[in-house]
Formats: sequence, C-alpha cells, structure tokens
Amino acid sequence: MLQTERPELLSLVSSCIGRRTLGIAALAFLVFSGLSAVFAADSATQVTLSVAKVGPREVEALTQRSVVRDYKFAWANLGLALQSNSIGPINGLFVGPASAWLSDAVQSQQQSGLSSRYSHQIHKLDAVFYAPEGDVIELHDTAEYDFEILDGSKIIHTEHATVRYVVLMTPGADRWVIRQLQSVPQF
Amino acid sequence: MSWSINIVCRDRRLIRRGGILLAFALAALAFAEDGNLHAPQGPVAGKPAEIGTEGSGSATLYLVGPSSAVKRDVELGKSISLSAKELQSAGRYIAVVCSPNCNTVSFFVAPAKAASVTFLVHPSRAAVAQNDAVSGVALAFDEFHNLVLTPIAVQFQLTAKGSVPMSRNAETRDGIAWFRTGSGRSAGPLQVTASVSGDVSARRIVQQVASDPCRLRIKGEKTAKGIVVETEPVRDCSGNPVPDGTVVTFTAKSGNETSSVDAPVKQDVARAIILAKSPVVISAASGVAMGNEVHIGGGN
Repeated sequence: MLQTERPELLSLVSSCIGRRTLGIAALAFLVFSGLSAVFAADSATQVTLSVAKVGPREVEALTQRSVVRDYKFAWANLGLALQSNSIGPINGLFVGPASAWLSDAVQSQQQSGLSSRYSHQIHKLDAVFYAPEGDVIELHDTAEYDFEILDGSKIIHTEHATVRYVVLMTPGADRWVIRQLQSVPQF
Repeated sequence: MSWSINIVCRDRRLIRRGGILLAFALAALAFAEDGNLHAPQGPVAGKPAEIGTEGSGSATLYLVGPSSAVKRDVELGKSISLSAKELQSAGRYIAVVCSPNCNTVSFFVAPAKAASVTFLVHPSRAAVAQNDAVSGVALAFDEFHNLVLTPIAVQFQLTAKGSVPMSRNAETRDGIAWFRTGSGRSAGPLQVTASVSGDVSARRIVQQVASDPCRLRIKGEKTAKGIVVETEPVRDCSGNPVPDGTVVTFTAKSGNETSSVDAPVKQDVARAIILAKSPVVISAASGVAMGNEVHIGGGN
C-alpha cells in the first residue's frame, strides 16, 4: 500500500514545485541540518563555574562569564577535532602544551585510523587559583561525558566517564585560552 | 573414510585439508581467550611500562592517551610493553585489547619530577616602598611539560643592591606556588628567583624606581635675565632621586597676580627663570609634595 502511494506522492509534489526547487530545498535542508549539528555539539556541552574556593584574587563577574564561555567553546571544538581528526577547530583555543598535546593526539589518530567521540559533556569547574595580577587561572574540572573510540567506523570502546582535569587558562587577546589540560585520578 | 576419499578424489582431499585447517583455526580461536588486562603499576611520564594480559593468541591493542593514539598487534598472555615515548603525557590512558572481543583497562600516568619552572613576576617596574607591589607565581613542570601536582618546596629569593636578600619558602599546591611582597627602599634592579628542588630555578628582574617626590626645597637668585629658581636635589621619601622628567611646578605670586611654570627635573634638579619686576613669592610643588616659599624683591 505504502509502496504504491509514495511514487504518486512524489510525482504530485515534483509536478507542483519542480525538480529544481526540490533540489534547492534538499540542499538547504542539508546545510541547515549540518549547521544545527554543529550548534548542537556546542550547546550540548554544559559548563558551570564555582569561585567559592579561589584565591588570592577574586574572579570578577565578567571574567567568570568569559572563562565559562571560552572553556565550553574549547571543549566543543576539542570534540570536533578528535572526531574529525582535524586540528582546525582547536586553533586559537588551546596554546602551549595543551595545543601541542591535542595536535599530537589528532595526528596519531590519523596515523592509526582511529577517531574518538565526546558527547553529553557536563563540566563542573572550580576555580582554585587566580593569580594576583590575573594572568593565569587554575581550574578543577569534574567532567562527565560519553566517550567512544572508533577504529574506522567500528566502535571499539564506549564508556560514560567521570574524569577530573586540572586546567590552566591564560587571557589571550580576546578570549581565555587553555594552556594545560591534564587529567588526574583525584584532586 | 577420509582415507578412502583422499585416494578416490584428489580435489576432495584438498577440501578435506582445508576443512582440517579451518577446524584448527576455529580451535585456536576458541582457545584464544579474551583475558583480563592488568594496568601498569604507578606509571610515570616518560618511563616505559607494561600492561599485563591473560589468555593466548594474537590481539590488537588500542592505546588512547592525552596526546597519543596507538594501534598495534600484540600477543595475549604476554606483557604489552609501552614505550617511554608513548607515555610522555601525564593523564588518563585507555588501553583496549580486542581478539576479537575487547577488554579495556584505564590508568593514570603521573608527571615526572620537576624539571622547569614557569615564573610570572609582576610588575616589571615598581615604585620603592610600596606595600604588596611585587608578586610572583611559580608553576612546576616536568621535562614533558606536565604540571607537577605533588607538593614541592619552592624558595623565592629577592635580592636588591645594598640590602639583605629576602627569602620566602612556599609549597606548591596543584602545581602552583606564589608570593606577594612590598618593594624595597632603594631604587635599582630587584632580582627575584624561584628555586625548586635546589637545582631548578628561574630568575626575573623587577626595576625598582623612585617613588613620588617627598619634600621640595627651593632657592632663588635674582639675575640680569630674571629670577632663577631651582630645587635642591628632588628625592622620594626613601631618599632616592626621582627620575628625570618628573615635573615640578613653580608658582610666582606678586600682589594679585599669579603665574606658574612647569619645569622637568634634570639630573635631580628642576630649574626655572621667572620674569618679575615687583617683589614676588615663589613656591614649588610636585605631586603631593609642596616646597618652601622664597621671597625675592623685584626691580632692584
């Protein structure tokens, strides 16, 4: 029943709006669905920051907002980089050792034919040190996420992990950048 | 029965041999157990380690760490050697061994011993005798740029010319130690050193400069060109000569008329010429410091 109805429906639609219009609509759908996937990856990353334990300098409200925004963006792009095996997404968000490590990770994934996927990320940040002159902030991140390792398209490992990170961020020209992202067994 | 088949039909014999091989392979697979994995004990960055395996047969190892992803063939039942290079980054590693079912073990690699200190000192120039004017933050890293998180003793030493070196001991917390102190009383370079474990250190220089002028003393002399007024050497409250260019304002008051002139300090002294015919009272000021007044008769 359905098999007979579909061609009729298609022919009816195509006769109404034409093939070219359909093509444009399909292209627009693909573009918007792709964009929504990118924004979904970004918005799916949840980041909260507590400054209750920080010292010796207090973290200004504007700085708190910037740190949360930039950390969230950095993790969303870290996920993209390791999933697509491209260092493009992490450019400018990670510097120093963190940038070198991520680049090495992407490169070795490429060489091994592996990729990895982070999803459903929740990051609970605790600021533990903010330098007197405001030029470095240390955070403790209790991160919770789903993590998958893929060999080609085959998933070889999947887990829901809670991983703790010690993070160093420094102010860049227009954003806070991650200088150190080191996972630890405990704080 | 198989003997008879082998004799009768050569092709069938090949098939039979293939079947036997297949049976062996299946048996080997059956015996190749997906054994447990044993994480390395206390692995340290830059040092080789081993993952213990159980079972037998060949398998594929996947090792994913903070800066690496490795895939290679391994033998079950033998320890899997992880090279020093594969474990340079401190953090969480996931080892997956598949044969064909996958077993997983995760472990943490700890940073190695401190090999370098990143030392942030502010400001680069500080006025003398200011409270909490100088601060420093020291971060300890190992040779692979891992932040060393175990507490380490850090010694901060501040040395200025002509004063007794000052030392402060601190311990890193989450890889960081810091200090804050007032600036010294003498202008000149202040050398700030952070030392970790005695042999790893970093040095920075803070230029201590004179603070604002503290007192002004002026004197005046009537000449053919006018009244020449000049300060005595201008110093801050600690006795340091203020830098050249510090502005001193001379004000001349004659009756109801007041005029002023700005003069920069040059080689410790600020100097100005005031044109006046009637008696004037001249005073000087710089910042919040006020000088004495001099009375000089005009005309004659």
